Amino acid sequence: MAMIDRYTRRRIQNGIFVGLTTLATAVAVAALVMILYSLVSQGFGGLNAAVFTMDQPPPEMEGGLRNAIWGSLELCALAMVISIIVGILAGTWLAEYGEGSKLASVVRFLNDVLLSAPSILVGLFVYEIAVRPFGGFSALAGALALAFLATPVVTRTTEDILRLQSNQLREAGMALGAGKGYVIRAIIWRASRPGLVTGALLGFARISGETAPLLFTALGNPNLSFSLKEPIGSLPAVIFQFALSAYDDWRRLAWVGALLIAFTVLSANIIGRALSRRSHNS
Amino acid sequence: MNFDASQADTKSVIVPPPVEDRVIDVRGLDFFYGKNQALFGVELPVARHKITALIGPSGCGKSTLLRTLNKIYDLYPGQRAEGEILLNGENVLAARDTAKLRADVGMVFQRPTPFPMSIYENIAFGVRLHRNVSKADMDVIVERSLTRAALWDEVKDKLDKSGTSLSGGQQQRLCVARGIAVEPEVLLLDEPASALDPLSTAKLETALMELKDSFTIVIVTHNLQQAARISDYTGFMLLGKMVEFRPSSEAFVKPETAAMRDYVTGRYG
Amino acid sequence: MANAMTAATPSAPQGNLRSAGAGDTLFKGLCFSAAMLLMLTLVGLIVSLVIGGWPAISHFGFKFLTSSAWDPVTDEYGAAGPVVGTLVTAFMAMVMALPLAFGIAVFLVEFCPKRIANWVSTAVELLAGIPSIVYGMWGLFVLAPWFAEHVQMPIIMNLDPESFWGKVLYGVPNGANIFTASLILAVMVLPYIATVLRELLLTVPPHVREAAYGMGCTPFEVVRAIMLPTVGRSAIGAVMLGLGRALGETMAVTFIIGNSHAFPDSLFASGSTIASTIANEFTEATGELHISALIALGLVLFAITFTTLAAARLLIGREQH
Repeated sequence: MAMIDRYTRRRIQNGIFVGLTTLATAVAVAALVMILYSLVSQGFGGLNAAVFTMDQPPPEMEGGLRNAIWGSLELCALAMVISIIVGILAGTWLAEYGEGSKLASVVRFLNDVLLSAPSILVGLFVYEIAVRPFGGFSALAGALALAFLATPVVTRTTEDILRLQSNQLREAGMALGAGKGYVIRAIIWRASRPGLVTGALLGFARISGETAPLLFTALGNPNLSFSLKEPIGSLPAVIFQFALSAYDDWRRLAWVGALLIAFTVLSANIIGRALSRRSHNS
Repeated sequence: MNFDASQADTKSVIVPPPVEDRVIDVRGLDFFYGKNQALFGVELPVARHKITALIGPSGCGKSTLLRTLNKIYDLYPGQRAEGEILLNGENVLAARDTAKLRADVGMVFQRPTPFPMSIYENIAFGVRLHRNVSKADMDVIVERSLTRAALWDEVKDKLDKSGTSLSGGQQQRLCVARGIAVEPEVLLLDEPASALDPLSTAKLETALMELKDSFTIVIVTHNLQQAARISDYTGFMLLGKMVEFRPSSEAFVKPETAAMRDYVTGRYG
Repeated sequence: MANAMTAATPSAPQGNLRSAGAGDTLFKGLCFSAAMLLMLTLVGLIVSLVIGGWPAISHFGFKFLTSSAWDPVTDEYGAAGPVVGTLVTAFMAMVMALPLAFGIAVFLVEFCPKRIANWVSTAVELLAGIPSIVYGMWGLFVLAPWFAEHVQMPIIMNLDPESFWGKVLYGVPNGANIFTASLILAVMVLPYIATVLRELLLTVPPHVREAAYGMGCTPFEVVRAIMLPTVGRSAIGAVMLGLGRALGETMAVTFIIGNSHAFPDSLFASGSTIASTIANEFTEATGELHISALIALGLVLFAITFTTLAAARLLIGREQH
């Protein structure tokens, strides 16, 4: 071994290192491919019109996921309305008004904590404030739980994106005699629009696959429901119920649901990131 | 860069050192950043144990030329060089082992680049890359390198302090010490004084003047006085071409090309 | 708004939404309220967990944390099983994910050919985007059966159950156990750690990196001697961030950990985590003490994740996240 010259040894060492890092990346990519393959191979076959036109069936009967799909859409739409309003305003405060203040750094820190807090705890919280006091599970409680999860994401992206805008832009607006608030709304927000959309999409991606916080807020509902005060079905909750069941039909539907949800979330992620790349480059 | 492109067409004047004195001989070098050509048939003979200065307005290609000499450009995909760079007769561009090449051709960069480790380790690090050295020998190497870089007296009591704790001028001399500790044949310096104050610059120049007894030095500089003060040969570049290459003693007193005359008299900065 | 221009005449600047004044104050107030609402959410979350969990905490006292008896029938609740399950799965997930994440980050920063760099990093990011319930299903229906057949069965056939390894690797061969749960967790946190590590590696000043190559370093030496020490402390923060994710993950774990409250006694034993216990039992719980004990579990989980996340933020520093 001692005969191998120093440069050869270092080159071999480096070669092994490059090999190992390549392998690590290959493992991650392989995991993604395997999961997507399972989803498509198990779920695609069950994808038919009934999935969208029929409600979830009792065991060993024919049915679809209509109630769960509509439930998920309703929950997410409601949650996103809340998150976008609160998140953009809060992010604006952090980026434009709170600059340098102690309070802002506290809010920022707490937002970061909320951003990565276990979602099931948010479910418990909403159960305590919106289910227990009103004596029942409801769509509203479910939407609230999802809103608590999406808002920190929107806040965070909003703050980051507003900070990218140059101060000259702000000064130019103010120099025309516009108030700070108007400059923010009319100039800064407009200049940041792709970034703000990204924030909303990422927030949507975060909640559309969430299951844990819905289990004891929206609960689930085997029938189509549009009432905010009633329990409501959702794709993740139905997947959870069906996947762990002993019925083959239910499991098949669970795979179909998983396929739908995964591709919704992944598309939201891809579009969001593509938009954000574009706005960072311009 | 408000020079007239037509001036670049003036015939170049090359007065090279004798062939047997040349450590590096660059012949007909073209360089490309992707599709953009940055060097056009550049000639650069570098004489042993002399200081060769490369001057010219910004964007003229002098740093690009320097960066081909140790192939540091190949960190970046899309950059490539064509032509010949002979190091002791061997074509560097064809060499596969850049690690070995860079042991022979060291480099000091524009901004001080101390590594995130102690002053002692900054120097020992490079030496260890290329050979096994006992602790006692390493102590000797560290002291000698720092002394030659005119830094020993300032740091001898704090060798275990982080390299980043030094002042900018000291950091740059640390980088020089680190470069020469490997005992390269050639030391490349890319505007080493541009971030330093006049006093630090003077110290660095003194160190370089003494180093040329043991090393061959190529320095890129913006500073004409600096080039005139320390260099033996000067190459003036414009728009990616070597316009004038002559012994410094003649080049600065009586530039032969109109372009260099304009540059030296301050027509472009 | 339509006649704002006329309103901007010197006489009446008030009430104009475009210039400084009442409108401005209102807008600032709205933004401020939103930020405060966010803060209140977290405070409310903590307070509600404390109030909800208080009956169980006051009833069992410190024994709640040390006892591993969890029995809704006798109304006896001790959190030790789920707490240990949470810590062990998260820890094992980190042990598996960290080297991989580091490898990915280095590959993306140093070695990845330009042409495929975008694809590879998107793939890694997408791994983070897959909903946890999908990971759970995949774990239950694909990983677990494979693991039972190709790992657990051979072990049972060939290993003396009384030997050391026989005991460590003992378990029902159904693939639903602490180890497979950790494996799934590792894949889930992998992209988070890799992404943060990659951003940290990119903060190493290019001129220092270049200088190291200029001395003749190989990429391996540049990473080991220059990039790692520069990144240093912040890298630990990235790890903690991943740990925080692993600790709180619910659905994927619930699918595959086997859901037993017993104290896990081997690597392949079924177990439970705090999150999986809450997910499984909360809607079924009827006794007040049972519900309270579950919320108290949530409080414990919050304390653990909050500590990890806070440590992570301190170590990484806000700007680099």
